[in-house]
Amino acid sequence: MNDQLKKKAWEIRRHVLKMCVKAGTGHVTSSMSCVDILTVLYRGCVMRHDPANPTWPERDRFILSKGQASPALYVVLADCGYFSMKDLDGFAQEDGKFGVHLQNSVPGVEITCGSLGQGFGFAAGVALGAKMNRDLFLTFTLLGDGECYEGSIWETAMFASHNHLNNLVAIVDRNYLCVTDFTENIVSLEPMADRWRSFGWDVICVDGHSIPELLKALDRVRSRKSTKPTAIIADTVKGEGVESFCYQPVCHGIAPKGEQAKKALEELERRCSYE
Amino acid sequence: MNNLTQRDAFWEKVYSLAKDNKDIVVVSADMGAPSLDQFRRDLAAQFVNVGIAEQNAILVASGMAALGKRVFVYAIAPFITLRCLEQIRVNNAMMKFPITIVGVGAGFGYEDSGPTHHITEDIAIMRSMPNIIINSISDSVMAEAVALMSCQMKVANYVRLDRLTLPSLYKKGEDFSQGIAVLKKGDSYIVSTGSMVHVALEVARQLKKKGLHVGVIDAYTIPLQEKNLISAIKGTKKLIALEEHFLAGGLSSAVCEALQDHGVVIPVLRIGLDPHKGYCYKYGGREIIRKYYGIDAASVTKKVLTFLK
Repeated sequence: MNDQLKKKAWEIRRHVLKMCVKAGTGHVTSSMSCVDILTVLYRGCVMRHDPANPTWPERDRFILSKGQASPALYVVLADCGYFSMKDLDGFAQEDGKFGVHLQNSVPGVEITCGSLGQGFGFAAGVALGAKMNRDLFLTFTLLGDGECYEGSIWETAMFASHNHLNNLVAIVDRNYLCVTDFTENIVSLEPMADRWRSFGWDVICVDGHSIPELLKALDRVRSRKSTKPTAIIADTVKGEGVESFCYQPVCHGIAPKGEQAKKALEELERRCSYE
Repeated sequence: MNNLTQRDAFWEKVYSLAKDNKDIVVVSADMGAPSLDQFRRDLAAQFVNVGIAEQNAILVASGMAALGKRVFVYAIAPFITLRCLEQIRVNNAMMKFPITIVGVGAGFGYEDSGPTHHITEDIAIMRSMPNIIINSISDSVMAEAVALMSCQMKVANYVRLDRLTLPSLYKKGEDFSQGIAVLKKGDSYIVSTGSMVHVALEVARQLKKKGLHVGVIDAYTIPLQEKNLISAIKGTKKLIALEEHFLAGGLSSAVCEALQDHGVVIPVLRIGLDPHKGYCYKYGGREIIRKYYGIDAASVTKKVLTFLK
């Protein structure tokens, strides 16, 4: 299963890149860093969901709080069968169904998101509502590390632990890069794990590109051995799979062009066939 | 109903509805009221205190609304509109999750608290977004009715409650679906909203003594139900719009837009807060502040007299 998921993740990256190169836009690097996480959630038997019935009341909710990673989510959803892979060709096009930031009219997408610091609080509301209803589904949310600069994230973090939302799982895509610089140069986010712990969360730190580590971390969440909400700090590389974009500030929110795009696609094709 | 504040009339109704409907939830940003105490005591499972965290309040409320909860979010008016404006824009105006935002202290309601606690821009800001209905409450009968209406709304609404205990303008059972009410007929009209409707009525009384028959219209729902307003003022030669709100974008702007869009070309006197006067640090009561801006009954009467001459 690990190898299959890894291969699937590379295929998804290849689709994300193709889609964004064609459109000449999209947050490629923000998407690439979280592809393994999304692949494990949707294809690794972690989340309970039904592509044939996107509004199934008992589905686990996935709230993408870093809405700029929508290309990754759209490809994963299309790959699951929520909508046709052909729809991906219309990404950010005049006749397309979706654009650069997340849109809740797309089957399988729970919220419109582009403004940071919001999806997380929404997810906490869903989790609290589920507790009130005695619904058993879990709510997963994916945050960007740069998103953690938003004050509302910490309003929600203390709210969720106070209300014992152990049905809420927040995954932080810790790729260490924002738009203009590395997070530790901008305003330090470390010690990230300790900060979440001090807000009353159970914290698991993983390599966000390791399928086995992600699976192991997410395997524990449904049993709810603790009353605390779970934060998974996933160490990632922003742009993973597109070498020329990795470890590079100011590559946020753009798609590669020309020769750079060609090279990147070749790189991903090689990965897909190799894995 | 004279003895109830708008706030207590509103929350008592919400309480009575919530007793029979566990999907009604109150999210408070550390804001209480005597009428909310019984809600907290008897319906603790339906009461969520998020602390002084308005952004999270709107987000949590919207998340619960996604599961079908009918959520009332409560705080002091400037904080539950402006601090979390973008959350409202994305979750409620854009995604249309139907929550009820309840702000107490409309206008200079927190009279001795200074300008941070006054709310003099909310109508302009909230009405600039689609899918948000403003319920600008002028008495406690309306407050109670709007509590019930809130539970049936398909979009989000913002209920601006005044802190004053004001005399009732309406009888129980009044239909508040028309957006405006003609409280007094006249040859010309003052259109107002919230507690300023009471000032408008006082002005009309003063003008009557001088032989002028000026009517009063309570515009309690914004966006205005324009057709109802236009039909109510049919034949009027001059119109006055009165508000405890900065002139930019508030009720008087909405009235002028309605007239323009319906081809009604008549002079309009806009009486509200002059932006050149800025924010004020006046204390000693609401009347003092209203006098400073020239929106107290005596100042308004003078302005209207000159305008109608």
